[in-house]
Amino acid sequence: MAERMQICNLSENNFEQCTKCSICTTVCPVAAVATDYPGPKQAGPDGERYRLKDPAYFDKALKLCLNCKRCEVACPSGVHIADIIQHARMRATEGKRASLRDTMLANTDLLGTVANRVAPIANATLGLSPTKLVMHSVMAIDKHRTFPAYSRQKFTTWFKRHAAKSQDAYAHHVSYFHGCYVNYNFPKLGQDLVKLMNAVGYGVHLLDKEQCCGVALIANGLYKQAKRQGRTNIDSIRKSVNRDKRPVLTTSSSCTFNMRDEYPSMLGIENEDVRASINLATRFIYNLVDEGEIKLIFKQNYKRRLAYHTACHMQRMGWQLFSMELLRMIPGLDLVELEQNCCGISGTYGFKKENYERSQAIGATLFKDIEQAHVEAVTTDCETCKWQIEMTTGLPVENPISVLADALDVEATRQANKIK
Amino acid sequence: MRMDTVIIGGGLSGLSCGIALAKRGKRVAIVSSGQSTMLFNGGSLELLGNIDGKAVTAPLDAIVTLPQNHPYSKIGADRIASLADRAKLLLNDSGINMEGNVAANHWRITPMGVAKPAWLTLNDHLRIDDLSNLPAKRLALMSIRGYLDQPNAMLAQGLRDLGFEVDVIEFTTDDITALRRSPSEMRATSLAKRLVSKNALQRVADQINSLATQADIVLLPSVLGQNDDTDFQMLQSMVKKPLRLVATLPPSVAGMRMMTQLRHYFRMLGGNYLMGDTAVSGTFDGDRLTAITTAKLADMPLKADQFVLASGSFISRGLVADYERIYEPVLGVDVDDDSNPDSWTSFGVLQPQAYSRFGVATDDKLRCLKQGKTISNLHAIGSILSGHDAVKMGDANGVSMLTALAVVDHIMETK
Repeated sequence: MAERMQICNLSENNFEQCTKCSICTTVCPVAAVATDYPGPKQAGPDGERYRLKDPAYFDKALKLCLNCKRCEVACPSGVHIADIIQHARMRATEGKRASLRDTMLANTDLLGTVANRVAPIANATLGLSPTKLVMHSVMAIDKHRTFPAYSRQKFTTWFKRHAAKSQDAYAHHVSYFHGCYVNYNFPKLGQDLVKLMNAVGYGVHLLDKEQCCGVALIANGLYKQAKRQGRTNIDSIRKSVNRDKRPVLTTSSSCTFNMRDEYPSMLGIENEDVRASINLATRFIYNLVDEGEIKLIFKQNYKRRLAYHTACHMQRMGWQLFSMELLRMIPGLDLVELEQNCCGISGTYGFKKENYERSQAIGATLFKDIEQAHVEAVTTDCETCKWQIEMTTGLPVENPISVLADALDVEATRQANKIK
Repeated sequence: MRMDTVIIGGGLSGLSCGIALAKRGKRVAIVSSGQSTMLFNGGSLELLGNIDGKAVTAPLDAIVTLPQNHPYSKIGADRIASLADRAKLLLNDSGINMEGNVAANHWRITPMGVAKPAWLTLNDHLRIDDLSNLPAKRLALMSIRGYLDQPNAMLAQGLRDLGFEVDVIEFTTDDITALRRSPSEMRATSLAKRLVSKNALQRVADQINSLATQADIVLLPSVLGQNDDTDFQMLQSMVKKPLRLVATLPPSVAGMRMMTQLRHYFRMLGGNYLMGDTAVSGTFDGDRLTAITTAKLADMPLKADQFVLASGSFISRGLVADYERIYEPVLGVDVDDDSNPDSWTSFGVLQPQAYSRFGVATDDKLRCLKQGKTISNLHAIGSILSGHDAVKMGDANGVSMLTALAVVDHIMETK
């Protein structure tokens, strides 16, 4: 009986474990600046009690939630507060059509495919004031925002032309889930990963079929499409892991978090069999060094002072330690850890006209910290944090993989790892 | 991943231990499963407040009389004074400005208006050194309209019972009124995030200056300064009368401020604070703990030479009770308790409760035991220790910080 009582005490998203301590509210970046938002306790477990009685109790203000998960990280009782809020949003928007603006923002890969073909025109046009004004008023995409520039050549195109052939020669192999950002906007990050992995004896391969991970689709209520793309990705990942024996690496914290944790919890996609094989590249590389499998040799006379920003989803995964410890291996790199505060962009959230001011207010604490850190650049594992921080502070923002690739003495590393 | 020391628990004891070790050049990781009970703190730390229901005025004298199984007795009564000084220094180094004296308790005021003995109190909070010689005659208790986490009638009555004249003065400003759109979340911490700009503070000061003209001291609920005391200093410079903060119901701004400053200082010293991760199990080799596994680092355990268990009592899940037993859920170390569940509790919630003295068993160096055998590189500190009583003895914060620093000494002596 006693045992049964305790088994039955489990609830979806640990909903029953909430002790109403309100600690989640103290760390919510939205509640801190938006009085319209009821805060995570009220929006999550408290509101859920009402919504269980009648879905009509759904509060529209819940769409202000960033899904940054900081409430979950702070909760001493293990309640999945943000998941409760996201599920409520999902139930409330079921069957409703997303707006054209939201659909466009969410379809990062569709937009990217078109924009890559006309990159110079797209970049020039998207940067023009008249275009921005039209987008601001007609599309409700905020005029202050600059769309990340589109690359003329996709990462996958570069890879097939310049890298694919040489990959089989290596002794070990990984697959790379590059994500939309690397493919359409910033192929250099993918090239940096290939350079780094090759130098330590790992061949890099593309997945059979990769689609956008869907993090933006979920945020914009396009759940069906997110599910479809998620299944495609997990099928490809399965083939890579089971058929080819290649673990899957990523260079984006949000893609990683989405495929590992949001696929099963938000989209109902089974991934338990391959979840452990979906890994952030910094964590994978750190582990190889830690286990003595590989050696990294860095350039002499390298000197830089950087600030590390823990992206929200990185904090939720709890993996910032790996990126930071890996960076700390670089002699001459002075790394400052910033206080863990949200930058405010949260993917597509900050691009929307109605969110712009709130987005900047949320990030204000972080921007101030960066200014006071007196660094030449910021490093973070999230691409949308990069846009936000670059736009606001003017400092360049680099992925830790790019910092490592830049500091690496490729020849010495290849020799140390006995790569021909 | 290898560290010199891994600490399970990121509250007051874990952070004190981590800071002191990092300062001495150790590589430290703290695993913290969410925020700690410090968010219930009212701006004061207690070292020893009560024995047998009577207030302690001179903690050092009283500690000598404690039973052998009390953590202070295990540290050694003769070491308490110097450890307490070091603890105060550690707080000051972290930017936490507190005053107090281990030789003589002062008084703090609870949100319910009760005076309780305290060791250290934040400089901007109300502190009474001597109840027979009050620091002021007339108090203006500023009451924020719509703010529910301060029971003003009780607080005012409590202060009157101590001998103060108290005027309760309600006020609001536009910044505060805006928060009432979400009444359930109008908390001290929300107010603290709103009252940060010079203009917002000036509007509060204008209200205080025009309404609290008769008071010797103006009391404001503790809704200022979640990162440090600069907002308080700015407001004080705008207010004509001396200003003091009084504790509110939790979550408290004072507790948040102390935790933020300790965490920040720990990170500045190069410490790794793993927020929102949970230690789930340990790997033992003979009498040594070699690694712990956490929920998020998963297949990459944290290895270390030394481990510290600072995971708190029942409320923080450092201890777990089911219907039959009380256990320590991460490492399964031995617990001092009573095997008969009927004797765990006494009728009446305000009565002394046996369970509040339960905790992990330790040897004379605060090392944990597993099946009766000492684990040579695993120390326990803070609220998870057995033999003390946070509620009835008012010893929680002192036990947290002093056992942490005593264990740091043990660790530094170990090769």
